[in-house]
Amino acid sequence: MTFPKSSDRDCVRAWDAMPWVLQNSATQEQGEWLENHLAQCESCRTEFAQQMRLRKAMSLPADISIDANVGLRRLLGRLDTPDAEEAPYRSRSRNWLSRALVAVGLIQALSIGALGVKLWSTGGSPAYRTLSQEPVPATTGTIRVVPDAAMTLADWNALLHALRLQVVGGPNDVGAYTVAPMSSTSTTQALQQLRTTRGIRLAEPVAVTP
Amino acid sequence: MNDDDIDADVTDRMLLQRMSTGDRAALSVLYRSYHGRLCRFLSRLTRRPDVIEEVINDCFWVAWQKAGSFHGDSRVSTWLMGIAYRCGLKALRQHGDEPVEDDPQSEQRTGDHDLDEDRELRDWLSKGLDHLSVDQRVVIELVYGVGHTLDDVAVIMQCPVGTVKARLFHARVKLRNVLPALAGDSPKHKENAP
Repeated sequence: MTFPKSSDRDCVRAWDAMPWVLQNSATQEQGEWLENHLAQCESCRTEFAQQMRLRKAMSLPADISIDANVGLRRLLGRLDTPDAEEAPYRSRSRNWLSRALVAVGLIQALSIGALGVKLWSTGGSPAYRTLSQEPVPATTGTIRVVPDAAMTLADWNALLHALRLQVVGGPNDVGAYTVAPMSSTSTTQALQQLRTTRGIRLAEPVAVTP
Repeated sequence: MNDDDIDADVTDRMLLQRMSTGDRAALSVLYRSYHGRLCRFLSRLTRRPDVIEEVINDCFWVAWQKAGSFHGDSRVSTWLMGIAYRCGLKALRQHGDEPVEDDPQSEQRTGDHDLDEDRELRDWLSKGLDHLSVDQRVVIELVYGVGHTLDDVAVIMQCPVGTVKARLFHARVKLRNVLPALAGDSPKHKENAP
């Protein structure tokens, strides 16, 4: 680096003053001092000559030709449609945000579509039945059970759980339930155990008519 | 600030005040008045004419919107340059990965009316500025090209005066080291350059 030595304070001072003397913003005193210093210092004289050349080069008009009238027409057109023109201005700076929102929207739409297809393919019959619906026709292996009126709900539930039975119908007008054994339980065993259980007034297999 | 600068600022403030009431004629006057210096200022950031025009229009779009809120804390020229600088940086971020080569047609247009001496000066300067960072080029343009003070540049670049001083110092040292060696190059050599 060929920057003046720090020991040469006058050259440093001259270096600092040059830009402001060149743009006429230095005080008269600064200007006169620099003029005197340049008369004695060849190095600073060379530097100042180069600074003058730099200033001259920087003052040349732009070397890129742009028609001001064309630009102004575009700007005035933009003022006439502020919303339409402001939108792309904003969208440039928030482009990533718009893209992210569009991506999220697409993912949501695809997910909803996939869910719809899945529900449609599982069929229209729900996995539950309301009490107002017609009872499901009895199937083979079901048992009709009449618990005692004094039997508590907790005891009834515990019994069904122990015998691995589930209620598929009832209670009807006389308080009879239709229960069906779960997959691994045999109807005969369940029937026998029901009949021996205290609190069960009746346990009979359902006769299915073809 | 000399008398001419003061007169120019008074005129600019009047134009801004008219702009704040929706006067498009005032906008047109201010636009034409600053177009040349903004073109040169922004050409230190990018060589793409389309981007420069876009930034100038973005700058005046903001000025049009905010003319009423200009409180006169600085000169109008300082305020406008600050807007242009920020719009220019935003454009650089958006178009930074795009080609920024010189437009040959533009060079040809400029070259038609350029004197040989001016062309040589431009070439010399251009090669020197290639060694500087964007912020250093901006400081050099604002101080040597436009004639702003350190305080003005600090307002435009929204940074402390000490930062401006450091950028100016490093830019000058770099130019001091490279410009003398470039002085001997003639513009004709550019055609043979890789």
